[in-house]
Amino acid sequence: MAYNTAMKILVVDDFATMRRIIKNILKQLGMNDVEEAEDGEQAFKKLQAGKFDFLITDWNMPNCTGLELLKMVRADAKLKAMPVLMVTAEAEKEQVIEAIKSGVNNYVMKPFTSDVLKQKLDKIFNK
Amino acid sequence: MSDEMDEIINDFLIETTEIVEDLSQKFVELENDKDNQELVNGIFRSVHTIKGASGFLGFNQMVQLTHITESVLKKIKDGDIPLTPGVMDVILESIDNVKVLLEHIKAKDGVEEDLTGILASLQSVYDQAGAPAATAPPQTIQQVEIPAAPAEDAPSSGSGPTIEELDALMEAQSNMLLRPVGEILVEGGSVTTEEVDDALKIQNMIKESVDTGEVPKVGDILAATEKVSKEEVKKALSKQTQPEKDKPPQQAEQTIRVDVERLDNVLNLVGELVLARNRLMKVVSNLELKYTDNTDVAPLAELTAFINLITTDLQLAVMKTRMQAVRKVFNKFPRMVRDLARSMKKDVELALSGEDTELDKSIIEEIGDPLVHLVRNSVDHGVEMPDDRARAGKPRGGTVLLSAYQEGNNIVLSIEDDGKGIDVEMLKEKIVEKGLSTPDELERLSTKEILDFIFLPGFSTAKVVSDVSGRGVGMDVVKTNIMKLNGTITIETEKGKGTKFLLRLPLTLAIIQALMVGVGTEVFAVPLASVVETVRIDQSNIKTIRGQETVILRNEIVPVHRLANKFFLPMGQSNGGHKMYLVVILVGEKKFGMMVDKLFGQEEVVIKSIEGFSNSSEGIAGATITGDGKVVLILDPAVMFVGDLRT
Repeated sequence: MAYNTAMKILVVDDFATMRRIIKNILKQLGMNDVEEAEDGEQAFKKLQAGKFDFLITDWNMPNCTGLELLKMVRADAKLKAMPVLMVTAEAEKEQVIEAIKSGVNNYVMKPFTSDVLKQKLDKIFNK
Repeated sequence: MSDEMDEIINDFLIETTEIVEDLSQKFVELENDKDNQELVNGIFRSVHTIKGASGFLGFNQMVQLTHITESVLKKIKDGDIPLTPGVMDVILESIDNVKVLLEHIKAKDGVEEDLTGILASLQSVYDQAGAPAATAPPQTIQQVEIPAAPAEDAPSSGSGPTIEELDALMEAQSNMLLRPVGEILVEGGSVTTEEVDDALKIQNMIKESVDTGEVPKVGDILAATEKVSKEEVKKALSKQTQPEKDKPPQQAEQTIRVDVERLDNVLNLVGELVLARNRLMKVVSNLELKYTDNTDVAPLAELTAFINLITTDLQLAVMKTRMQAVRKVFNKFPRMVRDLARSMKKDVELALSGEDTELDKSIIEEIGDPLVHLVRNSVDHGVEMPDDRARAGKPRGGTVLLSAYQEGNNIVLSIEDDGKGIDVEMLKEKIVEKGLSTPDELERLSTKEILDFIFLPGFSTAKVVSDVSGRGVGMDVVKTNIMKLNGTITIETEKGKGTKFLLRLPLTLAIIQALMVGVGTEVFAVPLASVVETVRIDQSNIKTIRGQETVILRNEIVPVHRLANKFFLPMGQSNGGHKMYLVVILVGEKKFGMMVDKLFGQEEVVIKSIEGFSNSSEGIAGATITGDGKVVLILDPAVMFVGDLRT
């Protein structure tokens, strides 16, 4: 495994069940240091406060969307190197392109299994 | 693992139920405010969210249903489908089906609902827009390996970027993402992008092997592998303005979910504490009297007073944790009123106010049914048909106002309509017709008392029985339910102007103020809320009318019941049998006196239910422990003498 199971991960989704599902999948991959945020705004605060290694964010959230969060992260001197995985629904290809343009490290479409997530993590951290 | 799964599904159920409740209201709002883009987006997002999580959890039917609903919503959002009441009916029906599916998930019965009807309706709405169909169900977790996108958004599934193209784009782009130090070094021409990437790879490998502790910096790795000099790294680092290592305190979560059972347990413990506090205060006040000169007593009294204060605060604080906004109950009404109005061809708008008013969870849970009945009643019997309203010079659309507010120690819920009001004369005819009273008797009653006949069992004034309400069941049930919550219900009405039902509910059910009374050697607690007054009367004042003992209080005949008889106790001898106390109690509109030997005064009591005993059917609301450590029964006078009141 090229990624690091000890890394500290922030999972952002407005739906608590979704966060829990993603946490659970991460747990299956051996990653337990996971924190949560409800939207981009809260996530950004957490990112600035804590030392996170990896950000997994949903796209469609109220207040501050995943894309807005991504842009904020990339514009922040301290955070701009943060690896970011965007979770999208199917049929949101236009959004994926926009996210790629804004510097997302990878994307994953809902629903995904731990195998799919592992592949994505390999891609992100195995560069 | 399966426990974890169960918990996740449980979370899903709770959260989705909340979303669905919210949705119903949003849809009704949307119907009145069709151009509210923000609202449409919110609704779209909610359905989308349910679909997303259902996909993960393998709830295929849910995915199927929410998927096509989402597609329809997307068309509405994009303005391709006009939001007509017909379209709204279909969407609301689909939300109802979501609820049904949730029930199945909850029951774990594995039952598959027949969704063909609703799916076809949604499909035909979707097809209205003239676009190709969106029947392809999206993938669920079982078939996730090939995330084939359904055709819903793209005009045809062939166009637009493919997954492969996206991945290729991703690949190309992610190679360009650089870490700050590396970036700066690359900028300065010291290293190449590849070298930085190599260093990052090394860094990640080290990270993997080390727990959470020290991981060498990219710059250090670059220096160690002799790609750059240490000075250059230092220079690059100095350009990074942010401090590196300090870790500010974590931001705490704003809310946590707590099992209700735990809260109930805390409340119970606080109840015990309140009882112990009451006893402590009594003991200390006795000590104070006995040992006035002892210097140790004053600090003890002081400390007790302090504990008293803290206990009261703690009690309030714990009660607050159980408070929920009435919004939770109110939310279902916009949808209900909308459906009712549509089915009755009426035009009714529901206005809500005070949704943030809070009530104890147990009351919130019980108040739903009575409110449903009252709101239905307002729409059905209150608000007139549009033509009738127009003839009466009113706007064609009626309004039902559902509001909540605090009034002292009570929460008031009011259901007010601007309909035809209650015709008291007609009501009187009806009462006589039903044989519930005679015209002579009715002449002597106040309007308020006449209106209260509505709450008698089997009473209905509707000439035509509609399938909505007016079957003669309900109003008495409403009243019983409200009374069970220690609440009251009153009616205000004006012919032609409208009717208002007012529910007064206590803030909490667990702790009440009670009047402690004595019969013989026994002590009983009477909820103070139902006590009107206490009077001292002489045995000679009691007159027996038709076998019923009565007393005249300020020109009012009040029936008297002896509490001693209820419990087969001998009346006390201490007062010589001539003087006795009467606790005057108001149940509904009826007054009666409860005869007791002694009055001990007011006390705060914590209601404990008695296990293995069908509460309140015998007129016992529960038991409590008093300040002096005695177990005392709490009476429910409304039930206790209800048989006697029928006379």
